[in-house]
Parts: sequence; C-alpha cells; structure tokens
Amino acid sequence: MTAQASPASTPEAPVPAARARGRDTGLYEPVAPPARRPAPRRRIRRTGRRLMPWLYLAPVLVFIGVFKLWPTIWGVYLSFFHVRPYLGNQYVAGANYQRAFSDPDLRAAVLHTVIDAVGAVAGSILVGFALALLLEGPARHLRILRTAVFLPTVVAMVAAASLWQTLLYPSRYGAVNSLLGAFGAGPAPFLSSTHSSLASVILIQVWKNAPYDMVIFVAGLAGIDRQLYEAAHLDGAGALQRLRYVTLPSLRPITTIVLTLGIIRGLRVFTEIWVATSGGPAGSTQSVVTYVYEQFSENNDAGYAAAIGTLLLAVTILLTCLNLWWRNRREAW
Amino acid sequence: MHSTRPRPNRTGRAMLAAVAGCALAGTAALSGCSASSTAGGSGGGGSLPQSKNAHATGDLTVWIRGAGDSPKAYQKIFDAFTAQSGIKVDITTATLTDFETKLTAAASAHRLPDVVLDDAAQLGNFESQGIILPVDKAKLAGADQLTDLAWKSATDLHGQPYAVPFSAQANVLLIRKDWLDKLGLQPPKTWDDLAKVAKAFTTQDPDGDGKADTYGLDIPGSTARGYTSWYWSSFLYQAGGDFVKSAGDGKYTATVNTPQAVQSARFLENQVCTAKDVQPSVLGDDTTATNKAFQTGVAGIYLTGPYAYATMDATTVKGKYIVIAPPAGPSGTTATLAEGTDIFTMADAKSDEATKLEEFMITPQAQQLGMIGVKTATVVRLSVNKTVDAAAVHNGDQRWQVAQQVYADAGHYEWDNLPNWTALRQKASAGLNKLLSSCGDTQSALNALNGDLNSALRQQGVG
Repeated sequence: MTAQASPASTPEAPVPAARARGRDTGLYEPVAPPARRPAPRRRIRRTGRRLMPWLYLAPVLVFIGVFKLWPTIWGVYLSFFHVRPYLGNQYVAGANYQRAFSDPDLRAAVLHTVIDAVGAVAGSILVGFALALLLEGPARHLRILRTAVFLPTVVAMVAAASLWQTLLYPSRYGAVNSLLGAFGAGPAPFLSSTHSSLASVILIQVWKNAPYDMVIFVAGLAGIDRQLYEAAHLDGAGALQRLRYVTLPSLRPITTIVLTLGIIRGLRVFTEIWVATSGGPAGSTQSVVTYVYEQFSENNDAGYAAAIGTLLLAVTILLTCLNLWWRNRREAW
Repeated sequence: MHSTRPRPNRTGRAMLAAVAGCALAGTAALSGCSASSTAGGSGGGGSLPQSKNAHATGDLTVWIRGAGDSPKAYQKIFDAFTAQSGIKVDITTATLTDFETKLTAAASAHRLPDVVLDDAAQLGNFESQGIILPVDKAKLAGADQLTDLAWKSATDLHGQPYAVPFSAQANVLLIRKDWLDKLGLQPPKTWDDLAKVAKAFTTQDPDGDGKADTYGLDIPGSTARGYTSWYWSSFLYQAGGDFVKSAGDGKYTATVNTPQAVQSARFLENQVCTAKDVQPSVLGDDTTATNKAFQTGVAGIYLTGPYAYATMDATTVKGKYIVIAPPAGPSGTTATLAEGTDIFTMADAKSDEATKLEEFMITPQAQQLGMIGVKTATVVRLSVNKTVDAAAVHNGDQRWQVAQQVYADAGHYEWDNLPNWTALRQKASAGLNKLLSSCGDTQSALNALNGDLNSALRQQGVG
C-alpha cells in the first residue's frame, strides 16, 4: 500500500485542471484526494484498524489478566515467602522449594496425579473411540443416541462426583454394588479402599469425558475418505483389518493431540478428587492440586502451597512447549 | 488493502509486554502494601497490646462460623445487646465453609471484623497469626461467673486468655433405644459393652427388615477437617492417653505411641477391620454423612455433641434414641472430647465496644437466649456461666442433663492453644485414617504418626 492511496483504494488519477479550480467538468472522474492530504489521519486509521481486534479482545484480556495472569504471578511471588497474612510475609528465598523437593507426601501426590491423568485420558480415548465407532453415522437414531450419550459432559463435575460417591457406596446395598450383586459379584469397596480409590476416581472422569472424545472421534471418522475403505475392501481386508490399517492411522493426528493435551490438563485434576474422596482414604487419591489446597487451607501454609503451584506451572509450561515443538517438527517433515 | 505477506506481530508482542509489565508493576506495588505492618504493637512492659481503634465508636461488625439458623440465634442476642447498650451489631459474614480462609483473606487486607465467633480450636492459630487481642480477665465484668474449665479452653500456652468462652459442649453417645429394646440389650457402659452392642446391631437385624443393612458404630473417618482424629480423641482420653504432653520450658512432645494411645487406636481398628461393625463408608464420611447415617437408620451408635439433638429431632429418628455418657475406658477412666465456641476480639477492633458485647454475651440472659432463642439452632449448647443450668433451661430435658454432667465430669479439651493445633489434628487424622484403611500394625503406624507430630511441633517452634 503506497502512502498516497486512499482507503477506497482507487488508483491515483491526475486531477483535471478544471476540477482543481472548483468547477464541475461533467465527466465522471475518480475523486482522488489532493496530493497534500494530512498523513497522520491515514496513519491513525491504519493504526486504528490494527488496534480494532485488540479492542474487541480487551474485555476478555482484562478478565484473564485479573483472574488468571495476576494470581499466577502473585503466586510465584508468594512462593519465596513464609506467608503470614496479618503480620507481614517473611522472605525465605528457596526454603519452600527445598521442602517441596524433599516432601514424600508431595512425591506420592505427583505419582497419583500422573497415574490419574494417563489413566483417565487413555480410558476416555478408548471408550470415546468405541462409542464413536458404534454411534457414527448420519442416521437420526444415531444422532439422538449421540446426544444422550453426550449428557455426562455437560453435567457439572461437582454434581457428577457427588452423585458417583452415592452410587459407589461400598456396602452391599449401594447402587453399583446391588447391580454387581445381581451378577453374583461381591460388594466392592470402590472409594473407601486404598487399592481401588484411584481407579474409582478415574472411572468417574472417564464417564464424564469419554463422550467429549467421542464427538471428536466422530468428526474425525467422518473426515476419512470413503475410497480408502473401498480400496481396502477390494484388497480383501476384513472389518478389523480396515479398522487397523485405515481408521486408526487416519485418526492418529487427532488421537495424539487429544492424548497430549488431555494429559497436560489432567495434571491439574482437583474437583473430582476433592468432592469424591478429599484425597483419601489415607492419601491414596491425593493429587498435586488437592495437596496444594490442603497446605493452604488446613495447614495455613500459603507460601509452601504457592511453591508447589509454581512447580506445577513450570512443569505444565514445559510439557506444553515440548508438545508444540514436537508437533511443529512432525509437520515440517 | 492489507498486505498478504506475514507481518511481524509487533503490535501483539508490544501488547503482551505491556500487560505483563502492568501486572508486574501492580504486583510490586501490592507487595509493598502487604509485606508491612504488624498487629497493633506487641505490648511493651507488662501491659497487654491494645487495638489502634480501641476507643473508636460505631457499629460492631461480627463474623460467625455458622449457617442455617445460627445467625438468627446470634442476631437475637445482638438485638438484646443493642436494646440495652445502644450499640448496633452487624453480622457481616456467616458461613461454615472456608470460614478461616475468608478470615485470612480479610487479615491480609487488614479489614478484619471487630469480633469473630469461631471454634475454640482456632485459638492458637489466630494467636500465632497475630490477629486477636488478649483478654484482660480482671477488667471483664462477669469473668468470675464462668467455669474454670471454660476459661482453660480460652487460655494460651503462657496462661494468657486470648478469647472469651461463649459456649461449651462435650461429646455424648446417641444410641437407638428401639434397636436396644428389640435385641434385649442394655446401654453400653464400657468398651467391651460397646463392642458387643455394635456387633449385635450389625449382625442381628435390629430394624427387622430382613436385610443386613444396619451397622453399629457411626464414625466420621474422613480426613477433611480432621474428623478421624476428632472422633478418636474421646477414646484416646478414655484410655488415659493424650496427643502431646508438656516437656517443660515451653516445649511439647507427641505422645500418640504410648501404650494407652495404642490401646485406643487398636480398639477402633478392631471395630473397623475385624468386627466390621462400623458403617462401610467410614473412611470417607464427614459429619454430614454420619448425621444422615444415624438419621436414616444405617448405624445405631453415634458419638457426637448435644448440638445434634435439634438436627436429629427434625427427622424420623426423633424419639427413637437415648443419650448416655460415653463408655469408660479399660481402666475405668471416663473422658470425652470437650469443645467450645469462643468470642475472639480481632486485632483492629473497637475494643471498648467489643468488650461490652462480650460482657453481655456471658450473662445468664444472653446465654439462655443462645440456648432456646431459636429452637433449631442451639448456639449456646452448655453454658459457660456457672449459674445457668442447661437442663432447667431446656425444661428438664434429660438429654441436656446428661450432656452437662458429662462435660463437667469428663470434659477434656484439645490442645487449642498450640500455635497450630488444626495442623496437628490434620496429621493425626491422616495417620489414623491410614491405619484404619490398611488394617495394619497399630504400634508401627502410631510410631510413624508420633514422628510426624514431633516434627510438626518443631516446625511450630514448640517442639
């Protein structure tokens, strides 16, 4: 764009002498602006256009800045202090971080978090994929079924966890146990035993998130070229082989994205665990964020909680960057 | 026309830098604000610290740890106070969830209320955070009318009262009379009796519905708010044990691995793991769940405070239970967990007016209002005032008679005055919850817990 073109982007035309003298010549002429239009107005308009998107985004950016960015930075700041709200904070440099690295409870929490993240995500992908295979297609009854199956995702996690806590009541007359009893299986302790509590919490998350993955996979399946299936069928491939050699490879990009993003997000699991088990029994479902919450609210140690939170932030940022770098590398091939 | 070649996102980057810069600047400014002043001066010489607003006048702001009808009951007392003194009282926050977290947030902003009504268990926490003022007992009118046990619960480790006691309670045993009658059993008086009755409730179908859906003991075993340890404490005291003991010189050592402590933990472990006469969701249940379990006839023996009478009477279990003293321990010791609600004067309070309110709240008139003013919310359970008889106020209700007796004879408070008792209670809960879920060796579990408590005491500066 040259400095002299007008926003209407008409090509520059010589100004007829008559018009320049202020008389209507009767000819149609493009109205070119006089050579000496003030440049700042054009620059303002251009800057204005560049700023417009930011102005539209401003409310959300302010919201994110105040409620997400600022507390994060403040939390990192507090992690270097022994936090005493009323008496004033005491600077302790890296003491909170040293404590975090030598805390066996935190190590256990990290282990549970990783197991939970991987288990829940893998589980929802598997179940979501199975549901997608079963329910994909344009038929009306399938659309209705998919909508019905999608309902768990829109239920609030607090409500879902609370509900499952009741369903998984460990006695013989708990809802799920009664069902198992009908098949002759004994009452399972679910959330009240250290051996099965983490699996039960993963179950709740899979129940809630699998339909979401199903929707993603249905979209992915719809995007697979039908001709590939026909070619495979012509080559004598059975249903299972078509699944293995056509469907799965085509879905790999989506699966990878869902898997990696899900695991990174799963490191922050809190609600389902806090509502269902409070990290118990005996800390068997303690996750990093529930541990942070306990340190802050029950041990009044906001500085230590902030340090753990900062470490989690650093790990999440690192994993996200790795993920992006790896994807960029793959796409560059 | 916009150019089609990719433009360097200078504007975007500049924006990001600006936002980050503002956030950091704001953070620095705020840090300057918060990392500052202390409480209203730690007293020089022998005089007690004063609030900087001590002589200020105006409406008093009060925060209450309570919900439902409790604020209404408190408001009745405050209205009576206003009628008498002309000072208005506003309840600006009344909640059960995250009460202390909200108070901490107010503390960092230096916008504390004048007066806070909270569990006595928070005494040490509040004192070590520097947000409460000590109480000058000599200058408090009516201080001599309060029981010694109540004052003990409001006193810190150095013997200085830091709160005015308002209400007291001790855990009593609620037990299903109809189940006892059906099975022909007597109310339990010792641990052995308790185990027998619990077993009978679990195995002999006391509700006669043909299903094995009843259990004996109703135990809140969740680690939330330290419930496991809260429940265990009565048994610990009955066995003659305690959580910590004074080691002299202002230091304390943990005592949860003594033979008495092991005996009490083993008793509970037997009930949960071997006899299995406890409600099955024990390890995750808080008191909301155990209340429900007792009300719906899932479990028949409930150790809880007299505040439960009103909640139970609102359900179908009304009239079906009796209240007895908790069982005696193996060596015949009677003991039960005593707790209370205290009135805390906050660090920046209008303390002249706040003191007047506190003096009013411990008078027999206010105490009685707290007991029966609002039927569904007994904010004063047992009176801290010697001259008020709970049973008489409740029209001779035998349950209140038992509660009063048990408190006076066997009440045993927690270590509210340690710098952070709730953290210790939390650790004890985690340890006991682990033991009850793994059903392992009691002595080694308690040895490990003892070590944890000792290191926590060291961290708090009293170990």
